[in-house]
Amino acid sequence: MSRLARYFRLLGSLARYTLGREMAFRSNFLVRVSVEVLWLGILIAFYRTVFARTRSIAGWPEEHYFFFVGCFFALNGLIETFFLDNCNEFAELVRTGDLDFLLLKPIDEQFLISFRRIDFGTAPNVLMGAVLMAVALVRMGWHFDPVRVGVFLVTFACGTAIAYSFMLLLTSLSVWMVRNQSLMEMWWLFSSLARYPREVFQGVAWAEPLGRLFTFVLPILLVVNVPAGAMVRVLDPGMVAFTLAATAALLWASRRFFQRALRSYRSASS
Amino acid sequence: MTPPDAVAIEPLVPDRATAVGPSRPRPPARGPLATSRKYYKIFRVSLVERMTYRGDFLLGTLLRFLPMVTTILLWRAVYIGSGSTDLAGFRYREMVAYLLLTHISRMFSSMPNLASGIARDIREGTLKRYLIQPIDMIGYLLSYRVAHKAAYIATSIIPYGLLFFACRSFFDGLPGPATLAAYAASLVLSFLVGFFFEASVGMVGFWFLEVTSLLYIVMTLNYFISGQMLPLDLLPTPWSGLLKALPFQYLAYFPAVVFLGKVRGTDLVHGLLGALFWAVFFLLLARGLYRVGLRRYSAYGG
Repeated sequence: MSRLARYFRLLGSLARYTLGREMAFRSNFLVRVSVEVLWLGILIAFYRTVFARTRSIAGWPEEHYFFFVGCFFALNGLIETFFLDNCNEFAELVRTGDLDFLLLKPIDEQFLISFRRIDFGTAPNVLMGAVLMAVALVRMGWHFDPVRVGVFLVTFACGTAIAYSFMLLLTSLSVWMVRNQSLMEMWWLFSSLARYPREVFQGVAWAEPLGRLFTFVLPILLVVNVPAGAMVRVLDPGMVAFTLAATAALLWASRRFFQRALRSYRSASS
Repeated sequence: MTPPDAVAIEPLVPDRATAVGPSRPRPPARGPLATSRKYYKIFRVSLVERMTYRGDFLLGTLLRFLPMVTTILLWRAVYIGSGSTDLAGFRYREMVAYLLLTHISRMFSSMPNLASGIARDIREGTLKRYLIQPIDMIGYLLSYRVAHKAAYIATSIIPYGLLFFACRSFFDGLPGPATLAAYAASLVLSFLVGFFFEASVGMVGFWFLEVTSLLYIVMTLNYFISGQMLPLDLLPTPWSGLLKALPFQYLAYFPAVVFLGKVRGTDLVHGLLGALFWAVFFLLLARGLYRVGLRRYSAYGG
């Protein structure tokens, strides 16, 4: 227990340190936040344009769909705040051999590599996504249901953990590939699977197996679909249970893979 | 959405390209032939450098197909939901074809790290190597970029060929030779507009130390206003006309609609001339900013 408390304390210190660094360049921070606002604006413009010509996408009416978009935006914001920068830097640590210094520290390597820097520039995305979700809920006339909110919060956390596990798997590959400078881009490509409702895979002969693959084998489709679905669509207990199981399995598997990768690390330079 | 490109490569190339002999210093050769040989050597060295890390590149190319799959499925769902076969003049097959073709446009027009590289050269003072060597910065960067693009396109032919083969049902075969020629011209122009536009943005670094934030805003906006997310025709009236008057449409939208045969006759000629105009405009802008900027440049660093 004290071990866990120690890691929370460490996380707090790291957060304070990175916040201090970020606030040293305040205008840069503001510009970065405005880029994110701009991006959300573009997403909204895109879907407004699309919904001007259709009533629903794969069975998701406009308000429900915007809840989905908000959920994706918030969850992705969380991932980018905590993990994206850190994982992105991992390849460079491997290439230069600076990883040695991190491995020498008396704490868990995965913890240090995953949480070293917290990127506060994308933290407001969580809030923006939440606002979009709230607006969508109000516009669809949603009735408050504590069970749904509870399930949403739990599956949202699971979604974040699943996405993190996939990112850790991708990151670990850079031990062997040495140059993995496009992780940021690869993450964008891979997470594009989570960006749309799972239902778009249905009804197409070649896509249905893909949909099942990314739901049950590489469950990236669960990430946003399950929390958003639990909140505004039918609450499917089977799917929620599966999400919980998948989260546990992926967290375990990605940790094993990461440790396996570290064993293959051969330092660099002198 | 841009191809993985080299981040920080110190161009040692100018030294090698212009060195004439180890012992006897001779004045460098002059004339158009010597000049083109110089830039050809830059091209070759950059090509070799680009092919060094292939594993990274292959994984990236493989993953690049995923968004296309989901995009196709999304638009299919949109067309089913709308209950109509035609959205702003685009049928479902044309829509998918359009979105696939914008990837080809971006293969030519995206310029990863160009503007940020120029700004870094200015900030860190490494720009002075272009001033003391008989080489023009924009010319050097252009040869370097052409080499990277050539390598990128050459290595992408197999995966993209497979993709377009798999998606051949979305196309009505190849267009006629005249359209193909216009398409090739529009792609070359999209490269030039993209290159000189980003070079101009990079030159802003003479006045502001930090241009990466500006660049982020430009790139984010560009993703939408160049038509990579949807054809500009789908936007409501004032916007579609406005965006088609801007140079950004030439980076993705224009080549794609040329291929699909949506722009014909005088419209096509006007479009190509428009692209040429913007390419020349940004060429002159980049050159102008460079010349004015050099007067402010103070060559920091050792």
